[in-house]
Order: sequence, then structure tokens, then C-alpha cells
Amino acid sequence: MPGSEKQNLRERYVAGVGAYAPLLRLDRAAAAKALKFSGLGGRAAGFRAVAGWDEDALTLAVEAARFEVGRPDAVIFASTSAPFLERSHATLLVDALALDSRTRTNEVSGARRCAVAALLDALLGCGEILVAAGEKRPTAAGSGRHLSDGDGGAAALISDRGAARLVAHASLSHDLVDIYASREHPEPYAYEERFVRETTIANVIAPTIKSALANAGIDPKAIAWAAVHEPIAGSWRDIERATGVNAPNLASELTQTVGDLGAAHAMFAFALACARAKPGDHVLLAGFGSGCDALILEVTGTMPGANEAAEAVRTGLAFADYVRFLSLTGTLNLDWGVRSEFEPKSQATVLERYGRDVIGFVGGRDAKGNVQFPKSRIPVRPDADGPEPWQDVRLADDLATIVSVTADRLNFTPDPPFWFGLAQFGNGARVMMEFTDADARGFAVGDRVRMRLRIKSHDSRRGFRTYFWKAAPERRPVLEG
Amino acid sequence: MASGIKDKVAIVGMGCTTFGEHWSRGPEDLMVDAFEEALTDAKIGRSQIQAAWMGNALDDINVGNSALPLAHALRLKSIPVTRVENMCATGSEALRAAVYAVAAGAVDFALALGVEKLKDTGYGGLPLRTKGLANDLWLPYGSAPGSFAQLAGAYAARNRIDHVDLKRAMAHVSWKSHQNAVSNPRAHLRKAVDIETILKAPMIADPLGLFDCCGVSDGAACAIVTTPDIARGLGIANPVTVKAVQLSASHGWEMQYGAWDGGFVENTRQAAKRAYAEAGVRDPRQDISLTEVHDCFSITELVTMEDLGLVDEGHGPYDIRDGRFDRDGAQPCQIDGGLKCFGHPVGASGLRMAFEVYSQFLGRGGERQLGKVDLGLTHNLGGAPFNSVAAVSIFGRLN
Repeated sequence: MPGSEKQNLRERYVAGVGAYAPLLRLDRAAAAKALKFSGLGGRAAGFRAVAGWDEDALTLAVEAARFEVGRPDAVIFASTSAPFLERSHATLLVDALALDSRTRTNEVSGARRCAVAALLDALLGCGEILVAAGEKRPTAAGSGRHLSDGDGGAAALISDRGAARLVAHASLSHDLVDIYASREHPEPYAYEERFVRETTIANVIAPTIKSALANAGIDPKAIAWAAVHEPIAGSWRDIERATGVNAPNLASELTQTVGDLGAAHAMFAFALACARAKPGDHVLLAGFGSGCDALILEVTGTMPGANEAAEAVRTGLAFADYVRFLSLTGTLNLDWGVRSEFEPKSQATVLERYGRDVIGFVGGRDAKGNVQFPKSRIPVRPDADGPEPWQDVRLADDLATIVSVTADRLNFTPDPPFWFGLAQFGNGARVMMEFTDADARGFAVGDRVRMRLRIKSHDSRRGFRTYFWKAAPERRPVLEG
Repeated sequence: MASGIKDKVAIVGMGCTTFGEHWSRGPEDLMVDAFEEALTDAKIGRSQIQAAWMGNALDDINVGNSALPLAHALRLKSIPVTRVENMCATGSEALRAAVYAVAAGAVDFALALGVEKLKDTGYGGLPLRTKGLANDLWLPYGSAPGSFAQLAGAYAARNRIDHVDLKRAMAHVSWKSHQNAVSNPRAHLRKAVDIETILKAPMIADPLGLFDCCGVSDGAACAIVTTPDIARGLGIANPVTVKAVQLSASHGWEMQYGAWDGGFVENTRQAAKRAYAEAGVRDPRQDISLTEVHDCFSITELVTMEDLGLVDEGHGPYDIRDGRFDRDGAQPCQIDGGLKCFGHPVGASGLRMAFEVYSQFLGRGGERQLGKVDLGLTHNLGGAPFNSVAAVSIFGRLN
């Protein structure tokens, strides 16, 4: 049984939340229709958030963490699908958010509970700590998880002040193998659902939640909102029965609208709960996977970033093209022809010189105030007559206006067409850049665009990737239904 | 004070292969064929060539780096041979170097030869290439059509021209070049195409359809240049001379500074302005008899007409559809089919343009021979509208 000792907790808070879902949402019913011949596919209801070809666990986490994070003392990256085995995503996250390079960094993985575990550690620790999770899990076509999983990110800032106070917690470590993924088998391998549902609830989740409630000294009915990561979609009612909790579980709703987001799931759901909660409400947050961490938090004020998280669920672009879905998830390797044979090899020396300005989208203001990207020894300003000193200017958080644009159908991209053009920033900077997240209308001269961190080039032969910012529509369409 | 090169250099021999898909001919064959034609035309021996410049834009495709492939192919014995590369303006760059060498008095005879063997890439269009390791971290890997397609949208916005009207004017540009190339035995694409077919062609990069884009070809073209005095000594009483060769290159202004609206090519304007001054051209609409411009894409030719000052800004679509630049118009453009249909072996194109103008001066135009030709202009554009190299050259007779 999880520990139930009296907890003397220092006042620690969640001070802000962030959540990000990629633009595209696969209509599961359409996918099920495409798979009808096979009898495969799993649930046919709701939507699955599908990352673009240029998104991965890091970019999804970065987008989630783009709320007012201030200057955290530490950044923790959480994922079970991080692209690199040896290269710190947390460090990349610090650079992408242009945070102080003295920020401590660490990453957690090993189970999809890792983000909540890190969040709990941060709440039990000290200083301001940003936890950012991102998931883009590889899943096999036809497997239930291919449709039930989703891609997305979530983040939370932990501080001594904030809008949700940690009241109590409980943890349980339990190697119950409901799913696993390994170097030899990167796609999660799932065991029998009935076994998972019954055993995890009875032996792992319910006992941990009950311990947390006991530690908090509150009645289960006092929980107003839940953000409990279900082992199997549709398990929440059983968990409610086993724990006595009777509250809407935002994690269940999230499974329907974007899919199971792995490490990011419970934290994303917590952000949604904060958007609906009022001061005084208790929120149950629980991460599951190789055990369970259950936290009870009391909402004390309006949570920064919570409404934007809710907006991230409501907006997107539904699609029903199952072949495109297969291609985007890497389960169908299309022959893109000889134009795709280009190898974008990167060099560490070049990354060392320019990499931080690129991933942070940091340009410079010259001696006369003009902003440009990238910086150069002699500014581009027409009257510049020699080298000038620079003041760093971050462009990632500014809007821009399209000066010129095209949908290039000749150039190789894994998700045609290849949009690119000139973006003009209000501070004077002008950048030739790729565009992403086109909706049905596409892009046009004069459109307002915002910046999104994306994969710039993917060197599949060497297993390397570089990141840069791409221009996306300022606003996303609202999903119907 | 620089006096320019007007009439200091004469062209005494030119050669040009057919452009196209030369599956059975390598770059060596192309270089030799163009050069032997030029030698025969100039009536000199190969040993009289004292310096050579080889224009080749994509050295990693078959031809090889440095100018040694040229020295080997032509067996140029121990003379200075240099490779130049300035993207699609490479051919003009080779000519500029040779012309300057003669104008400077460094040599009596110089050779400029451009060659490209593109059809060994295995596909249509130009290959994707690195833009430099640092630039690759942020610059998009856009294709050539993608880069020039942006000119169309920005031009339409700048001049408040309806996209449908612009598309029709662009179609006229391509229609005209297809018409002209039918009578050019050296052209790659010698088939007339009607306007509706052009308009309905598959999209390559919005709004450029298939027929808005030039073909990529194999080919070579070259020029042998000398002084007017030596030319006369060869028996050419009134040689074709170079009136101006000017080049302007981007310094980052268009792509990084906020002043450019994307709807014109600044370097074409700069190079034209200097070329007109060097050649003494006061009114290009009256003084220039024909033009060979860089119609890599239909929109490029349309905008170039304005950037060269041959029509008023914003009037290009109307003058084009009125036929001003057609074969029987007031100022024919691409009488040989242009890049669109003669073809575009990148490093050779600037010299191919000069070859057509030279041929028209000498009455060698065959079915496409124009009447009175006073001055001919070539415009050779490298890169993209937002990061370009533009060469404008003017040719005429010495007297």
C-alpha cells in the first residue's frame, strides 16, 4: 500500500500551466472505416491529434511551455518518445525558450507517469521549476494504440507562489507491465485490456488515490475535478467506484478529443481542470505507468495558461485521410522519389557557432535600432558602413506579416506542399522561412503569422535533426462538433 | 575615372549546341561542339586562345569542379583557364571575364564557354543543394519555381493586379516563347502550345503551372572575343561589339531588410541602369531592337520587362497581352524561344542569349530573322528574386 503517513508539506504551488495539441485531428471513425476490411483499429469515436512531420516530442513540449515561465531555476523534460537517446532535450528546451543557460536541466522517462512524478518532485523541492512533457509515440498501424494515442505536450511551472497548492500526495512503484516499449521494440507492446483494467485499478491506481485522499484528510466526494490518466480509455467509472471519487475526469475527455498523450496526458488534463475550477476546488491529479503518483491540489486562484490549454483542444483541423495519417505517423513509407534523396547533414561546429540563436530565434538590434535575423558582422541596414555591436532580440514570440509566399509542389517535403516565403516582423526584422500548419485556405500575402518551433531538417541516415521556427497562421480554426 | 568597355571588345566567333536531353552526349561533347563551331566562325586556330573562362553552375553534376574539364576537353595547352559560377547568371559571368581580359589589354583572344549537363540528375528541375552549413540551419530548401512563384503574388499585390489577369499575361509569355521556338532548330522544346493548355497545366508552385516554368537542358554555348582592331584584321569590317556588361548582386537587403515589397528585382534595375549608361542608351524602349531575358519562369519575364524599363510599372501584363514583345511586336523578346523553350543548361544560358543576339546581327536567324537590328540586350538572372545576381549586357555593331 502507498504510504499514508501524515504529510507536513511546505507551501508549494503550480504557478502556471501550458498545453499544446498539433493542428491535425484524425477523425477516428474515418480511420475505422478504412480499416473495416481488417477488423482492426480499436475505438471509432472522437479524434486523434496527429503531429506534423516536423513535430516531435521536443517541439510539442516547447510549444506547451510557451506561457509566462519567467526565469525558472530548473527545467525538466519528460517523455517516453524523446527523439534522442544521447542529447539533452531539456537543454534544447532552455535554448528554444531562450532561458538563461545557467538553468539546471534534467529529463525523466521510463514510464508515462514520469511527468507527474517530476511535477511531484518539483512540488516537494524548492525554487521555480518548469516541467515540460511532449509525446509523439511510434505505434504500429492497425494496433489499437495507433488510434487511441495522440500527440501533444503539456507543461507546468512550480513555485512558492501560484494558483494551485499541493495538499497531499501518494506514490506507488509497481512493475505492472500493461504496455512496454524497448530499444528492440520501440512501438508500445500492449497486453490484454481486461487484465490491465482490472489489475491496475485494483492493485495500483485506486490504492494510491485513496492514500492521497487519506493524506489530505478529505472526503473523496470533495474532489471537484480529476486529471487521472486511465490505463485504458473508459476506465474512469471503475476508478470512481473503487475510490469513492465522483468528479469529471478531464483526462477521459482528453482521450476522446486528442488521444492518450502519454507522459503529457495527466498534466494536460490538469491544465483543463484548472480552466474549469474555481478557487477552493480540489483537483485530483494522477499519473499512471509502472506505478502511480496521485496528487491533490487546491485551486487558489486563476491559473495562468489554463484557458489557453482549453483553447488548444477546441481548435484544430479535422481530417479523414487515413493514408496521410499513416504517412505522418511513419507507418507507411512512401517512395517520395529521387528528390527526397538529399541528405541534410549537420555539423557540430556550425551548431556550436549558430545553434543557440537558431533554436532560440534570436536576432539582433544594430547600433541604429534595426532588427535582423540572423546577425551578421556588418548589419544589413543600407547605411551600415562596418561592423556594429548587437543587442539580442528574440523573434519567436512576435507576430509577423507575410510579404511573399508560395505552395511549392516540386520541392520534397514529407507532407506536401512545401510552403515558404518572406515574413516581416513589426520590429523591422525580415526572414525567409518555411510556413507550417496550413489550413484549407493556405497562406496569402498580408496574412498574420505566429512562430512555431519545428524540425528544420531531419537527417534520417545519421539519426539527427535540427530545429528552427516556422510561420503558422496566427489563429487556428475552431473544430466543429 | 572608369570609361567602361563600350566598343573595346568585339565578338568574332560564337558556337552553341542544340539544347535538350542529350542522353548520348557528355559535357565533353557539348563543350567541343560549341567551341569548334566558334573557332570555325572566328577563323582562328585554337592556339590563338590565350585565356579561357568556363561557366558551370552545378559542378557536382557530371562536369566536375575547376576549369580543368574545359582545358582537357578543348586541349587548351597551358593557358590560364578559370571556372566561374554565379548561379544562373554564370554564362554572362564567363563572358564578362573574357571581355574584361581583352578590354584590359591582357590578351588578344579570350574564350568564354558555358556548359551544363543537367539531364544526368535523373529528374526534371534543378537539384536541391546545400545553401551552406550555417544557412541550412534556417533557410528553407525552396525550389526555383517556389522562389520565383513568390514574385507573382508580391507583384500582384504591389500593382493591385487581379490574379486571373496576371495568370493570363504569364500564359501569354509562355505561349509566345513556344511559338518562337518552333522555328529554332537548336531549341529544346519546339512545339506550339495554346493559351488554354498553358492555363490548365498542373501546378508546380502557386501560381506557376508546368508551362510557366522553363525546361532544364543539356547544352553549351561559347564566345571568342578580341579587340575591334584585331577583328578588322580578320576581315570583319563592322564587327559585333560589346556595348555594356553590368552585373549587380544582392547584399541581403531584399531578404533581411524591410523595405522591399517582393514585387520587383532590384538587381535587374541596378544592372540595367548601369548598362544603359555604359552603352549610351537613353531610351531603351526605342533604342533596343530585341531582348533575350531570363525567362526561367513566365512571371520573371513579365517583371523583367518592367525592371528593364521597357514598360511602365504595373503595365507589364497589358503590354505583354497586347503583343509588344511578340515576334511581330515593337520589341521582340525571346525570338529564339528563351529559356522557356530553347532550354536552360544553367551555365550556358547567358552565352546562349548572346549567341542569338549575335546571330541576329549577322543575319543568321533563319526563319526567325528580324529586320533591322541596332542594339540587342541580354538579361541573365541568377538565384531568386529575394537573393539574386543580375547581369545585363548590350551588344551592337562597331559602326
